[in-house]
Amino acid sequence: MKRVLKLVVWLVVALLGAAAFAKIAFDRGEPLNATWFVVAAVCCYLVAYRLYSAFVAAKVLTLDDTRATPAERHDDGRDFVPTNKWVLFGHHFAAIAGPGPLVGPTLAAQFGYLPGTLWLIAGAAFAGCVQDFVILFCSIRRDGKSLGQMAREEVSERGGFIAQLAVLAIITILLAVIGLVVVNALKSSPWATFTLAMTIPIALLLGLYLRFLRPGRVLEASIMGVALVLFVVVAGQWVADSPSWSRVFTLSGVALAFAIIAYGFAASALPVWLLLAPRDYLSAFIKAGAIFSLAVGILFVRPQILMPSLTRFADGSGPVFAGKIFPFCFITIACGAISGFHSLISSGTTPKMILRESHARFIGYGAMLLESFVGVMAMVAACAMPPGVYFAINSPPSIVGGAGDAAASTISSWGYSLQAQTMTDLAHKVGELTLWNRAGGAPSLAVGMAQIFSSTIGGDRLLSIWYHFAIMFEALFILTVLDAGTRVGRFMVQDLGGRVWKPFARTSWMPGVVISSAIIVALWGYFLYQGVVDPLGGINSLWPLFGISNQLLAAVALVVATTILMKMGKLRWIWVTLLPMAWIVVITMTASYQKIFSANPRIGFLATANAMVAQIAAGKIPAEKIAETQRLIFNQRLDAAVTGILAVMILVLIVEALVHWYAMLSRRKDPVLHESPYVATRWAADYSGATHGDD
Amino acid sequence: MRRASRTTARLLRRFWRGLREWCGDAAYEIYLRSPHTRTGACPTLTRKEFYVEQLNRRYSRPNRCC
Repeated sequence: MKRVLKLVVWLVVALLGAAAFAKIAFDRGEPLNATWFVVAAVCCYLVAYRLYSAFVAAKVLTLDDTRATPAERHDDGRDFVPTNKWVLFGHHFAAIAGPGPLVGPTLAAQFGYLPGTLWLIAGAAFAGCVQDFVILFCSIRRDGKSLGQMAREEVSERGGFIAQLAVLAIITILLAVIGLVVVNALKSSPWATFTLAMTIPIALLLGLYLRFLRPGRVLEASIMGVALVLFVVVAGQWVADSPSWSRVFTLSGVALAFAIIAYGFAASALPVWLLLAPRDYLSAFIKAGAIFSLAVGILFVRPQILMPSLTRFADGSGPVFAGKIFPFCFITIACGAISGFHSLISSGTTPKMILRESHARFIGYGAMLLESFVGVMAMVAACAMPPGVYFAINSPPSIVGGAGDAAASTISSWGYSLQAQTMTDLAHKVGELTLWNRAGGAPSLAVGMAQIFSSTIGGDRLLSIWYHFAIMFEALFILTVLDAGTRVGRFMVQDLGGRVWKPFARTSWMPGVVISSAIIVALWGYFLYQGVVDPLGGINSLWPLFGISNQLLAAVALVVATTILMKMGKLRWIWVTLLPMAWIVVITMTASYQKIFSANPRIGFLATANAMVAQIAAGKIPAEKIAETQRLIFNQRLDAAVTGILAVMILVLIVEALVHWYAMLSRRKDPVLHESPYVATRWAADYSGATHGDD
Repeated sequence: MRRASRTTARLLRRFWRGLREWCGDAAYEIYLRSPHTRTGACPTLTRKEFYVEQLNRRYSRPNRCC
């Protein structure tokens, strides 16, 4: 009887999900309510978790709870800590959820809500969650080894080297592009710039408190810090209203870029307890609070989706970024559906803290489903605003013809009606000088979030506070990724430098710390500066580069996962990782090819460079602008070279894997699995963690 | 009624404990209770030493994602 009831419940969930999906996909009448998105996503996630992840756990990975995990075998209270599964889920989710699932779907909304939403849900269920889950499992079975170590041992030395290079590439490009998102969010906004600047002294204060006054009392320090941050969000309005202070905090894009570069250097070179860690604590609490509030706000307000299901920009002529749905929607969404970076977390801290193998399903697969849901919410927030407003905020001036009436008439000519006055009123309501040409996704997401929040609490009166809260939330945790990433990059540079000259690898040697920090900051800082001065807005060239490098790392992870499954004798089930891998390789290679060789100057880096060369040759560039144009030409060629290198890395990796797989399948090589030996667990079946076990 | 309040109190206690573990507030207590520390294999760190050492370890590898 109970079984029948369960079956009925799951059947209802599946049918409800299918109905909601059908409504989203086929409804062409009145504006759609956002509730349909939530219902479709949640039902699909429930079914995917209940059926597909259970299948992967039972048939493909054959999780074994009688086997002791690394946390049990090496329990040292530091790295290896047996942790309650709900707490570890929170840890893992806080680590994987960055700005990607918020910014990517917001940018992809230019195609309409349908392509992005479909990929967010299907991509997560069949690719992203599987990648995170399988890599977590593989790392648990190997004492918490990293992706690079597993690639070296299970695939080949070259595979491991490619994984290392991919990590460095993704860190460099990621930091540049998220830096650009912050620049575009703070540009000409004294309120937002003041609020974010104030988070630095607040973090320093917290750092000193936690180091000297009350060591390690993270919770009380974070509560004080969050209260101070909320206060400076409100205080920002006074700064914006004061003519003298407003001037101090009104910065140009280039000035902001240099400020962010200086901040990245400081956060990397200063002791971690002083700036980086306390900022991370603040960011974690505010991130959790803002995401939860957004979910509640969407359910409470149930906004209407005003963006069409498919826009005219499906043809590749989009103003936010150029390129057709295939492959650019997938490259742009990136983290919300599948992110290679997650495999570093799944083979980093999490496998060392997991209590039982079966928890890998809930943590690896489940946390990625939640991240995908964050992406769906970002899509809802972006699509709930009038399309004209969305395009006005996200389009660079070179596409829409600047701001004001000229830009409004360009956007209206695309079929998305817009009055220049609407933008003026909106900017006034949110307390900004202007909202035109704020590409990068953050301002439009903040407008969407602020509209949802203010419909819940405060109405139009609090719109400006909510907008700046949303900007602060996005910028705060973007900068957390930026400083943590710069520090990790610094360690990688020190590690590489140490191979040439040993003292360089010593992390306590100050000259080494300063030089390596300067190298990694210069690497991403160059791309950031290039993005800021790019006449097309920078996002057009940098975000696809980021997407390509991220998906390259996903391809590395899926190659490692497929190889391990093959070695485990699961040939029958390797399609579980092989198919997502093939798909990722196809979209990454297609996007790389188009970004390098497309004849359309808005897509192809080389075509852009050639068009500028032709303009100089034809004498269309004024003499004083020639040096600047030549720098832009160099940047486009550099971007083409970087994309080419990433594409070659994928090809080398695939050839490497194919040779390896052929050797195994033709029995020329024995499939040697580098798993840790089986050790039976000594924990009782109901043991639930280092502190929870006392209950 | 008493049962309900007991259950609520237990749930709140668990939530509080989970929150402290999640944010790192309970890290030192967990360290002190680990078998590795209790066996005295290494000299036990003070709270201050542990805090700095733990942060240096945590932020030397990717721990925040895109």
